[in-house]
Amino acid sequence: MNPLALLFLVLGLGLIAWLSARARAIALDRGGAQLHSRPRQHATYVALWTVVPALIFAAIWAALSPSLVTASVLADPAAAVLPAGGFERDSILAEARSLALGRGYGAFYDESEALAPVFAQAQSFYRWIGAGIVVLLAVAGAAYALSRITPLFRARAQVERGVMLALLVASLIAILTTLGIFLSLVFESARFFAIVPVTDFLFGTTWSPQVISQRDPGASLGAVPLFWGTFFIGAVIAMIVAIPLGLMSAVYLTQYAHPRVRRWVKPCLEILAGVPTVVYGYFAALTVGPAIRQIAVALGMPYASSESALSAGLVMGVMIIPFVSSMADDSIAAVPTAMRDGSLAMGATTNETIRRVLLPAALPGVVAGILLAVSRAIGETMIVVMAASGAATITLNPFESATTVTKQIVDLLTGEAEFDSAKTLAAFALGLTLFVITFLLNIVALRVVKRYREAYE
Amino acid sequence: MSSTLVAGAPAIGAEPAARAPTDWRTDAMRGRIRRRYAAERRFRLLGLAAVTLSCGFLLVLLASMLSSGLGGFQRTDVRLSIDFPALNLPVTRGQLRGSGADLALAGAGLQGAVGRAAVQAFGEGGDRYIADRAWLTVRDAVLADPGLLTRRTAIDVPASSGIDAAARGAGRADDEAVVARLEGLRLLSTAINWDFFTRADATDPGAVGIWGALKGSLLTMAVTLLVAFPVGVLSAIYLEEYAGRNRWTDLIEVSINNLAAVPSIIFGLLGLAVFLNTLHLPRSAPLVGGLTLALMIMPVIVIAGRNAIKAVPPSIRDAAFGIGASRIQVVFHHVLPLALPGILTGTIIGMARALGETAPLLMIGMRAFIASPPGGLADPATVLPVQIFLWSDEVSRGFVEKTSAAIIVLLAFLLAMNAAAIYLRNKFETRW
Repeated sequence: MNPLALLFLVLGLGLIAWLSARARAIALDRGGAQLHSRPRQHATYVALWTVVPALIFAAIWAALSPSLVTASVLADPAAAVLPAGGFERDSILAEARSLALGRGYGAFYDESEALAPVFAQAQSFYRWIGAGIVVLLAVAGAAYALSRITPLFRARAQVERGVMLALLVASLIAILTTLGIFLSLVFESARFFAIVPVTDFLFGTTWSPQVISQRDPGASLGAVPLFWGTFFIGAVIAMIVAIPLGLMSAVYLTQYAHPRVRRWVKPCLEILAGVPTVVYGYFAALTVGPAIRQIAVALGMPYASSESALSAGLVMGVMIIPFVSSMADDSIAAVPTAMRDGSLAMGATTNETIRRVLLPAALPGVVAGILLAVSRAIGETMIVVMAASGAATITLNPFESATTVTKQIVDLLTGEAEFDSAKTLAAFALGLTLFVITFLLNIVALRVVKRYREAYE
Repeated sequence: MSSTLVAGAPAIGAEPAARAPTDWRTDAMRGRIRRRYAAERRFRLLGLAAVTLSCGFLLVLLASMLSSGLGGFQRTDVRLSIDFPALNLPVTRGQLRGSGADLALAGAGLQGAVGRAAVQAFGEGGDRYIADRAWLTVRDAVLADPGLLTRRTAIDVPASSGIDAAARGAGRADDEAVVARLEGLRLLSTAINWDFFTRADATDPGAVGIWGALKGSLLTMAVTLLVAFPVGVLSAIYLEEYAGRNRWTDLIEVSINNLAAVPSIIFGLLGLAVFLNTLHLPRSAPLVGGLTLALMIMPVIVIAGRNAIKAVPPSIRDAAFGIGASRIQVVFHHVLPLALPGILTGTIIGMARALGETAPLLMIGMRAFIASPPGGLADPATVLPVQIFLWSDEVSRGFVEKTSAAIIVLLAFLLAMNAAAIYLRNKFETRW
């Protein structure tokens, strides 16, 4: 039975349970008994007992059954033809599975064609067993809950406990996601560091994943050039563009601009923040890159690349402007008006007030905003994937090419390598590094923002 | 103010030291004031320049996309005159009625016949002037009016990509010559390329369309919304209405705030490791893409939801409690409906972010060449931003226009979503 049909079957059973429970409660009510809860609440209670256990079991079964299916296929005499182990065995099994599901287009291995019917049989066997148990659970749940409907039964309290549980589970998903990110990165990185020593990865200065020697894979997987490129593009070039422009925009809009100008310009900056990064990347690759190359050639660098660090950094800086400006805007707005008024009353000009009073008072917020902006810039992917080059060099010249951590993650994982190679695992090690760095930046920045907000409240 | 703050200063009320009053009319003082005002003007101009520059970037970006992309919505047509009786197609009138008519025409060799007609009309090599799919246009014309088969007629069919590029002044020299000749005969015209909105990816830039990617995006967004919205709203309610202040809720709060700032590519790695390698969900499918993006935008919805719930005044809750509502009833019957506009605004903004996201979807394999629109949630699919990325990598010049055209479509969607969010905010925003 296919999963969607099963879902509808269970929901249908739930509806029937809801209707019959309500009818029963109404009958009790008419019979003169004083009900504790409304008939609708009794009905919801029964419906929950019908649907929830059945669906939970269905989810668990969906996760378990593939391994049960594989086990029963391997126990079948037809599986004797399989090679003893390793990559080939796995790919034959995978192919047989997709053939059995009707997804495959012809088989590469002859064995998988023989195994496919066995697979299909085992699959439908376990599927029917699962469906049977699910329906059984639904009916049993409904029967149990229906038997509990009495005038004194506190159905409302029970339903509300269920809702509370749902709320708690929903809020745990955020923690689970964080944990999932951390564990999956750590797990895959641990496999990587079993092949390549940590020190080689963190301190090696040669990055050339195209050729990884079998004897010493660490020699070509030193990530220092990537760290430098990321820092150079995201934290230096992009910030040189974004900080002055963002800060000055915020100052102008909050302190000088006419409200009408502000009403038009602010959405304009917000649109700048809403443009997808792939559009920025395309713009950088198509327009900015070649223009910067021409400038470099004019400056006397005939072999300049059109995939320079400068073009990616510039466009990234533009992308970050609204981010810096809105953070600065918030922190300037949080400075008490009394400080500004006091300074103006002492005869300071507006610009002196801004530079000597407002900005120093807003500094923690501004710095936190810049930290968040840096965290965002070094995690930005599409602009560098499209506009930066793949050549890992350590350079101070913005016209030369540089590569970043995110660009390398994409390059490593979209190639044609099998999953367990040092090459693909390296992407997870890079991901872990990126996660840890952005995590630290975010924590520090969020803490500063929070403390600063409390200081003026 | 306690007296310790001013310990070092002279006590209030003490006699200040005698000082001559400043003479503001001396040249030195006047110069100083002039300099201060000049600095003021410079600073102000600097601010104006920063704002202008930032908005200028936006204008340049939009203008460059528009100027290179509008052509992508157009195509060049060639007027092809076809002498149907001379082609002698083996179809009967009876076959042209009913549902199998298009198959009958294809079986009768219409494709080859159109090619021969092009050679006849434009001379040797004429079949290269029209697109490979030109015969489909002819087929549709015949289906609309079967009477065409009995006479000589002229039909506008799409030009081949080479001719198309040359007509826009970006083709090879020999194609340019052909275009000049055809233009002399007044056979070229431009039309709106409706195929662009109905087809999927292709290798020929003239034949590509965005419907495949758009449908992939819609399916992905549907999954994202179905997962992220309930979970986000429920956890916002929990954190705002129920959770006490303890270490556990602090942990939830820190992880939500942090998740909102984690680079999107990390979510792609999570999707790859968990959904694909551990749970073995189908690769490149909108299902996996939607789940990954849902995890990504959930914090956005939670944060917006919490702010909206926080803005509902306590008096509403107190009134509901006062007439005997339970806690759940207070939240679901009173607080949530009042907070809904704010939550929806946040959700739309989160969805707009998910719609423009590319990097995490590259990680889970949604970058395949997909020549037909996905049929379901488990089919291989691609999405609009990834399609833009893929086309931007193509060498052929025709793709530049198509990429920009796809960007225009994407931006139009995002603009519409943001406009909806702003409208919602203005219409339903209540000031308590």
